[in-house]
Amino acid sequence: MLEDLLLILFAAAAVAGAVLMLLLRHPMRVALALIATMISLGGIYGLLGVHVIAVFQIMIYVGAVMVFMVYAIMLLDVRDPSFTERYSRLLWPGVAACTVLAGVLVGAAWQGKIPLFKGPGDSFGVQPFSAAFLNDYWLYFELTSVLLVVAVLAAVAVVQLRSTRRG
Amino acid sequence: MDKTQFLLWVSLVLFSIGLVGLIVRRNLLVMLMCMELMLNGVNLSLVTFAQRGGSVEGAVMVFLIFIVAASEIAIAIPIVLLLVRHRLTLDAGAYTDLKG
Amino acid sequence: MSTHLLGLIVALPLAGFLFNGILSTRLGGARLGETVVNLVACALPGLSFVLTVVCFFQLQASGKPLIEATYTWATIGGLRFEVGFWFDRLAAVMTLVVTGVGTLIHIYSTGYMHGDKSHARYFAYLNLFLFFMLLLVLGRSLLVMFVGWEGVGLASYLLIGFWFDDPAKAAAGKKAFITNRIGDAGFLIGMFLLWGTFGTLDMDTINAGFLGPKAPAMSASLVGLMLFIGACGKSAQIPLHVWLPDAMAGPTPVSALIHAATMVTAGIYLVARMSGLYNVAPEASAVVAAIGVATALFAATIAVAQTDIKKVLAYSTVSQLGLMFVALGVGAYAVAIFHVVTHAFFKACLFLGSGSVIHALGGEQDIRKMGGLARRIPVTFVTFAVATTAIAGIPPLAGFFSKDEILWFAFASPQGGAPWLWALASAASLLTSFYMFRLLWLTFFGASRMTPEVEHHVHESPVSMTGVLVVLALLSAFGGFIPVVHYLEPQLPLPAVPEALHHFERNLIFVAVALAFAGLALAWWFFSGDASRAARVRDLLAGVHRWLTNKYYIDELYEAALGRPLTWLSDRVFLQLGDRTVIDGTLHALSGAAQRGAAALGALQAGSLHRYALYAVLGVLAAVLWSLRHG
Repeated sequence: MLEDLLLILFAAAAVAGAVLMLLLRHPMRVALALIATMISLGGIYGLLGVHVIAVFQIMIYVGAVMVFMVYAIMLLDVRDPSFTERYSRLLWPGVAACTVLAGVLVGAAWQGKIPLFKGPGDSFGVQPFSAAFLNDYWLYFELTSVLLVVAVLAAVAVVQLRSTRRG
Repeated sequence: MDKTQFLLWVSLVLFSIGLVGLIVRRNLLVMLMCMELMLNGVNLSLVTFAQRGGSVEGAVMVFLIFIVAASEIAIAIPIVLLLVRHRLTLDAGAYTDLKG
Repeated sequence: MSTHLLGLIVALPLAGFLFNGILSTRLGGARLGETVVNLVACALPGLSFVLTVVCFFQLQASGKPLIEATYTWATIGGLRFEVGFWFDRLAAVMTLVVTGVGTLIHIYSTGYMHGDKSHARYFAYLNLFLFFMLLLVLGRSLLVMFVGWEGVGLASYLLIGFWFDDPAKAAAGKKAFITNRIGDAGFLIGMFLLWGTFGTLDMDTINAGFLGPKAPAMSASLVGLMLFIGACGKSAQIPLHVWLPDAMAGPTPVSALIHAATMVTAGIYLVARMSGLYNVAPEASAVVAAIGVATALFAATIAVAQTDIKKVLAYSTVSQLGLMFVALGVGAYAVAIFHVVTHAFFKACLFLGSGSVIHALGGEQDIRKMGGLARRIPVTFVTFAVATTAIAGIPPLAGFFSKDEILWFAFASPQGGAPWLWALASAASLLTSFYMFRLLWLTFFGASRMTPEVEHHVHESPVSMTGVLVVLALLSAFGGFIPVVHYLEPQLPLPAVPEALHHFERNLIFVAVALAFAGLALAWWFFSGDASRAARVRDLLAGVHRWLTNKYYIDELYEAALGRPLTWLSDRVFLQLGDRTVIDGTLHALSGAAQRGAAALGALQAGSLHRYALYAVLGVLAAVLWSLRHG
């Protein structure tokens, strides 16, 4: 009972954060709304019983991705035309298209063309998670580290850091 | 409706809102954040299905998606920084070099 | 029976054309001298003549036509088109004339064209003409004959416009070819009709089919008319006669060979060949006779007023061809062929004689500027006089025999002979005698009207020219005794004259001879001395004279009625409307539409990221809808 209530609460918070993302003007506030959404999602994961994922959600998404984003927002001067004019010229066409898309999907789901499952689920903890990674999926684990190194290199190359030492 | 269905609806809503935001918002960084929101929505549906399936492979895949999202943002923000360095504005309407 | 000589007869002039055309002209470096060219060009037709004589004796011996099937031209489905040669009595007569007179004219040309800058090209074309003419005459099927028909038209065009640097001469060549083509349309339609009915174009089969017991489904008169249209074009009958006088722009031996002796008789040959068809086509035969006599009279009246020596002879040729068609129209096919033979002799002699006169006067062709040449160029004068007497129909020269037969059958033939036909033909004969003797008088007799420089240079022509003139004059004199009609009788029987009319025959001969002498007398009376009486008559009938000099304004009529509307049609309708507006306009419109479409599509890519994202969403929406619909 409590679990269901918490689930609805977290879900509502996530959706609210998402809606606020569309409405707020200042990018920093938009970032904070997104952080709120992500934390709510983390809560949902926890309620589902996948604690590993919930922790990773907070650590990686909020702790790394959003921090980086906030940093970038603070770096750049945001008082430019995009601040005064929040919405692009395609506001109403965009809203219309996406509403139609959503409506089509909802309608299809309602009529049963898209199967939505029912039933309970299982939870799994850290131990089976790490065992799987280190036994069966160790290759992909290593590949992720390669991917991260490549990302760092690419970021450096993109920004074109130069050595400032002379003489 | 039960938990799984409910979470799938939430995932759909989050994804749609992210999509709308990508089209309507002008600020480049806000557009990036909307893309993150879309990714999160999809992630939620993946986690829901994974948890239902019971095997650990689902969790493995979610973890890999986290990594990819992180690297993606690591590249995307420097690109935006570079663009802004040249054109000195975050307005997406100013970047029309793909024209024609 | 079969033989191999016929193909050789046809091929020898072709070899001459190839040899001279490739090696002797500028194409091959023009290394061979005039002597070699002359030798090759004259020896090969001479050889053809010898072979023709051999074949003639073979025909006499065997009594049946010589057939030579050379090869199969094409096999289309179940239809076969063969190239074959056929040598019967009619073909024998024609081939002997073509190769014999042809060789003589080749020899004459060596003298006439001496020193011309395109000497080798001339002989190449002349040999080419001979090849096509032999193909025409020896062909077994209408198809081979048509190849020869077209080929002689081509050779005629090339030779009329031989000195093509002069645009008027080139235009004359074009006129000849185009007028011929109009006639050929009729010929082709006739061929199509025959092919549709018989499934073959072999002339012997077709003739047998028409004369046989079961009448074929095709109307013989319709086919006969179509083929006659082709003959009109080739043999210069009304209304397609306009090219022949203009064709005098070519060298004189060409006029003699092509436009007097051989090519223009191709139409006569066609009708005579298809005698089986024309015998059962009374309507077509009536048309043939009517147009023949009309042309004969029409051309004779024009010839009276012409002042160019070659033009007089040209109209005379048209008139004589008309008389031959009269004979064909009344069913006397052998008589027409007889007149072809005698006409070849004396008309060639006349043309070559006029060439000799022109050569002697250094290029002068206007008879008003001649006169008094009889003593200066005696050989030319004597031969010319003999030939003139022959054409006038004075016995016992050749023309009398053949023309008299034509007039007799025009009167008495049961297949269309009538007094009015005879009367008109006789009137044409009277005029013939008159204008020919007029020509003789004005050219050779009387006081000299030449300019001093021309008179100073008057000289007789070389032996190569005068020798041929003598031979032809002898043939004109004694050729009437060759029993051509009798020889052709087994193949082309004469129409049976009804008993009641037999007693007219002697009287009609007397009338014909009287008319010939009357023409001579009139010409002497008007044109001897200083031709003052003629001048007085001319001034009296100035309007008539103007009409005759301008050939009844037929060329102007054609230009106004056909030429100008066609030019207008080509320019306004086909060029401006059809080509520029419709075709170019369509293409420009299409390309313009493509460009506008591309510009419109290009507007989609405005560079706006939001727009691209929206396109992506719309694409996803479409994909979802499609997959939901099609499951």
